[in-house]
Amino acid sequence: MLALKERNNQAFGFLYDNYAGALYSIIKQIITDNNELASDVLQEVFINIWRKIETYDQTKGRLFTWMLNVARNASIDMLRSKGYQNSQKNQELPDNVYKGVANQTTQQNVDNIGLKKVLEKLKPEHRVLVELAYFKGFTHEEIAEMMAIPLGTVKTRIRNALLQLREYLK
Amino acid sequence: MNLKDYIESGIIESYVMGLASESERAEFDQLCTQHPELVAARRKFEESIESFAFEQALPTPPEVKGKIFEAIGTSGSRSTTSLNPPKIDKMETSKTPVRSLGLLRFVAAASVVLLIGMFVLYYQTKQQNADLVNTQDRLKLSYDSTKNILDKIVDEQKHVVGDSNTTVVNMVGTKVAPKSSANIYWDSASTNVYLVVKNMPKLPNDQQYQLWALIDGKPSDLGVFDATDSRVILKMKNTKKAQAFAITIEKHGGSPSPTLEKMQSLGKILQSQ
Repeated sequence: MLALKERNNQAFGFLYDNYAGALYSIIKQIITDNNELASDVLQEVFINIWRKIETYDQTKGRLFTWMLNVARNASIDMLRSKGYQNSQKNQELPDNVYKGVANQTTQQNVDNIGLKKVLEKLKPEHRVLVELAYFKGFTHEEIAEMMAIPLGTVKTRIRNALLQLREYLK
Repeated sequence: MNLKDYIESGIIESYVMGLASESERAEFDQLCTQHPELVAARRKFEESIESFAFEQALPTPPEVKGKIFEAIGTSGSRSTTSLNPPKIDKMETSKTPVRSLGLLRFVAAASVVLLIGMFVLYYQTKQQNADLVNTQDRLKLSYDSTKNILDKIVDEQKHVVGDSNTTVVNMVGTKVAPKSSANIYWDSASTNVYLVVKNMPKLPNDQQYQLWALIDGKPSDLGVFDATDSRVILKMKNTKKAQAFAITIEKHGGSPSPTLEKMQSLGKILQSQ
């Protein structure tokens, strides 16, 4: 029993050493301005991975893809939590999210890592949609309403943006 | 649906990045089970995301790893809120370790049982398969030898019946047994004698029919047979000469000389050499 646990810990240690940096990067791209909360999310993400590893279905994708989505979902949950929004109260109102992204003025520095760096290469109207969907976790419907454009257009633009993104990642 | 268009529609990227809707995901999963090339395209994008993410990896806060191991090593706490996870973990530590150990133990035991079960099933299936193959081989062997024998019989019959040297003797019933009948095929060149029983009454177990050749008035034993051999060509003893053939009922195994009062059938050779 102890040996089993030790082996698991060893494997999990390996998992952490290998993937934590990459996952921390995506967390920081979503929780852009609070290192302490980003670190909390990283911790929560690995605890979730440990607990939910049996729900990972390898026929549906690679382990990293699964972990990346666990990290992204946890980060977005944090973004939307009351605690986070209270800490942001004086900096940015929730309904200013889009403007902040679109203006690209105040966030220039933190946007300079990871996928966000690649997003810079996209057309602004595409970039904004990916920002809202991927990094802010808004649904296509919410974005359509927020931006006052048809749902179909949101979907098409996001798909096209992702296809361009794919080309940049090659 | 055109698969190529589907692959190029952006659905793969949407799916992998977690932006696809519930129904899109379900459809994608479904199509993946049917189209390996879709899975390959998904994998390719996943790999490029993955290698990019590794390039962009950031150094993690050093204390996090220790905190995570503290949390998972001593507790299986269910609800860690992100704001203050360490405190909550500690609070739950005292409540849930038994349950988590029990669960882990159960999962470990279940895995072992499942593994053993799978091995047993595997070996059973393998054994059954071997048995079937074995049986099939034996049947094939049995079929082959039966076919061989039949082929030989057919050849022999063709030879016997078609040969110009063969004399056919129609054995007819006597007064004692008017319904008895048989055919004798006598090949005068090879001296082979064949008998085809057409209708001979069944005898008690201690009795058999005996075939005789009458050569210059003297009977010569050509062997015994049973009524059950009906419709089969029986090879009897050879004889170089014969003016007639006779069938008598004798004790099991035959007699040195025929019991003529029990003669069942007699046939004279019409066409003598």
